[in-house]
Amino acid sequence: MNTSPPVRRQPGSPRLNTVSAERTNDASTQSQYQPYKEAAWGFINHWYPALFSEEIPEGHVEGIQICGVQIVLRRVHGKVLALKDQCVHRGVRLSAKPLCFNDKTITCWYHGFTYDLASGALTTIVGNPDDPLIGTTGLTTYPVEEIAGMVFVFVREDQYPDADVPPLAHDLPVRFPTSSERFPHPLWPAAPSLLDPAAVGLGIHRTGESNWRIACENGFDNAHILVHQDNTIVQALNWVLPLGIRPVSDDCITLIEDEDGPKGLMQWLFSDRWEAILENKELDVKVEGLNGRFYRTSCVLPGVLMVENWPEEHIVQYEWYVPITDDTYEYWEVLVKVCPTPAAREKFSYRFERVYKPLCLHGFNDCDLYAREAMQEFYADGTGWDNEQLVATDVSAITWRKVASRYNRGIAKPGKGVEGATKTSSIRLRRVAQGRKPGYFVEKIKD
Amino acid sequence: MSLANGHRVTLRFRDGVEQVVRVGAGQTILEAGLAQQAPLLSQCRSGSCATCSALLRSGTAAMRAGQPSVLLRHEADAGQRLLCLTEAQGECSFDLAYDSRAGSRRTQTARAFVDAVAHIAPDAVRLTLELAEGDWLDFLPGQFVQLAVPGSGEQRRYSIASTRAQLPRIELLIRLLPGGAMSDYLRQRAAPDDVITLTGPYGGFFLREGVRAPHILVAGGTGLAPLLAMLDTLRTQPGRRAPLLLSFGCASEETLFYREELALRRHWMPQLDLRVSIERGVAAADLRIGNPVAAIGAADVQDPATVAYLCGPPGLIEAGHDHLVALGVAAQHIYAEQFVPS
Repeated sequence: MNTSPPVRRQPGSPRLNTVSAERTNDASTQSQYQPYKEAAWGFINHWYPALFSEEIPEGHVEGIQICGVQIVLRRVHGKVLALKDQCVHRGVRLSAKPLCFNDKTITCWYHGFTYDLASGALTTIVGNPDDPLIGTTGLTTYPVEEIAGMVFVFVREDQYPDADVPPLAHDLPVRFPTSSERFPHPLWPAAPSLLDPAAVGLGIHRTGESNWRIACENGFDNAHILVHQDNTIVQALNWVLPLGIRPVSDDCITLIEDEDGPKGLMQWLFSDRWEAILENKELDVKVEGLNGRFYRTSCVLPGVLMVENWPEEHIVQYEWYVPITDDTYEYWEVLVKVCPTPAAREKFSYRFERVYKPLCLHGFNDCDLYAREAMQEFYADGTGWDNEQLVATDVSAITWRKVASRYNRGIAKPGKGVEGATKTSSIRLRRVAQGRKPGYFVEKIKD
Repeated sequence: MSLANGHRVTLRFRDGVEQVVRVGAGQTILEAGLAQQAPLLSQCRSGSCATCSALLRSGTAAMRAGQPSVLLRHEADAGQRLLCLTEAQGECSFDLAYDSRAGSRRTQTARAFVDAVAHIAPDAVRLTLELAEGDWLDFLPGQFVQLAVPGSGEQRRYSIASTRAQLPRIELLIRLLPGGAMSDYLRQRAAPDDVITLTGPYGGFFLREGVRAPHILVAGGTGLAPLLAMLDTLRTQPGRRAPLLLSFGCASEETLFYREELALRRHWMPQLDLRVSIERGVAAADLRIGNPVAAIGAADVQDPATVAYLCGPPGLIEAGHDHLVALGVAAQHIYAEQFVPS
């Protein structure tokens, strides 16, 4: 009698009879963006916005999560420093209950493991100062840049070398007027940049419940502007916002592949390479607006949208869709304007609070949040990428997927031991039951 | 035998770790080393796989006379020894081309399901396996496994073409030979859900990680497999990506395989310079005529720290080694795996 146990397949791995046989889209095109399809947890080894400067005042400690990496930030003597927010000892988040004995370190509130903020090295253990582990290990550090009121972190794999950290500008949109000859914009003035002197970035960030890629592709999708037709700002200002914008030329998109700069794509909107659709006779729908509203979208890695000339002249809207987990992202909307004087700054800030924030970042872009969510379930188990039926206007998304597959600096691995990695953890369920949805910030322990 | 009576042999690993072992008369250095817990890599222990290859730095140590081995003439002349056949004639020292940790990777026996048998060329098959529940087999990119050919009692060795990240899936590229045990199995009987037993990993031919210098990979035929594993590992390594040249050759356009897979890698990796050659036929835009060694020129070796990995039939290894050395690649930076069809 054979008493050896039967050989079984791995649980949860795809069975032969469930592998999708037919792909709706062309298989060879799909293969070109296979790495993108694997990037459910985002592209790692890139610069991402972490916080607005005002969210981390002097001495403050904050905890966030990007690409499945928990990060703790502390501002000391004006400078923000960032470490992996996971104690080497037993994985506790330092930011959950910040404990800092001096201005050089942060200490794990549980067992007292104390780390140097600048180097990440384990420098002492509060109740065990002679332990041989001290000095032999530490936490990954994340380079930080602060510009125009925003704090950026370079979210990296533990082994990513310091010497290879690229400048922040490599992960930000192209600049004008430097690029004006390459990407002419006859209908509007040169767009400002976060990197410009006296640039001010004002905006909001909030958590969206979809995969970051769904969100990102929505940002420069020229067929989706239909969802914005009824927005208050469009109607109040009588904007001519087309029903859709259709590519009519092979060079409708230019790749941005600068050797020493950002990687992504630029769409030649409101040029003869794209046709604005203002009427659908079959449905008897017509755009009635009077005021031309010209804009142009581009997107660079790791998923940074730039909308030039939006929502008004001399302003640019930046957006980020920062992956938190594979089904949540932090949606950043930032308006940038150069404000050379305190008065100009004041004026921009007033208009931001009165007009842009309620009518644009919320009124207009709230539609995008629910539109992304509407696609999420279709893509949630990963098969949506194989089953979607794309059309001509999706040239933008496909080009983005290809360029992102080629130039990303790494694909984040599925989060382990971090919030949101286990969807049904009891703590997560308790928080939801208490009315708190999964989010971007650490949940701080209240004494 | 008392260890004190043996010759003192120093084993120096790539990570600087040294271990001294005593090797008695009539004993091979591999036998003695393993008995004294040195982390030496080995597999066939009969001179036919070259896994235990090491470089003699000082002293005298000869391979057993009359014993056939795969060591090539130029390799022996340059001091290479297969430790499974080498005896010490006095105090001597060897350099191992791998870290002391590499040899501590345990050889496992694992069972795997056949997922797919794909004919990628008239004489080549890609065999896709999936490790069974509870079984595991870890490896370094470039290493090989030994398969028990179902229903034959024969064993065959194949390099893994996939990466560790793809586990539990394992891909092998297998050349079909007339009357070969594995070839007959794949042609006639193999079917999804068959269970195959494999052991491994084996081999000292694996990617040295963390090397920032340009990489040159040269592959002939199904020798592409271990280099593909290395390429895909390099593709996902954190940090700035070093320049990478892959020169791959097959006999003819008819037997050429993986053109699309390689073109995809060229798309995914801006730093990849891909050259595909066929020995005979008509040159096309993306095809060269000749062998993959000849496709490499002086302009490809600008950096004296360049490293090279070669895998293919013995002729290709020998020619490739000589050619790369002539172009300025340091001999100790050339890693090779011979491919003997069976």
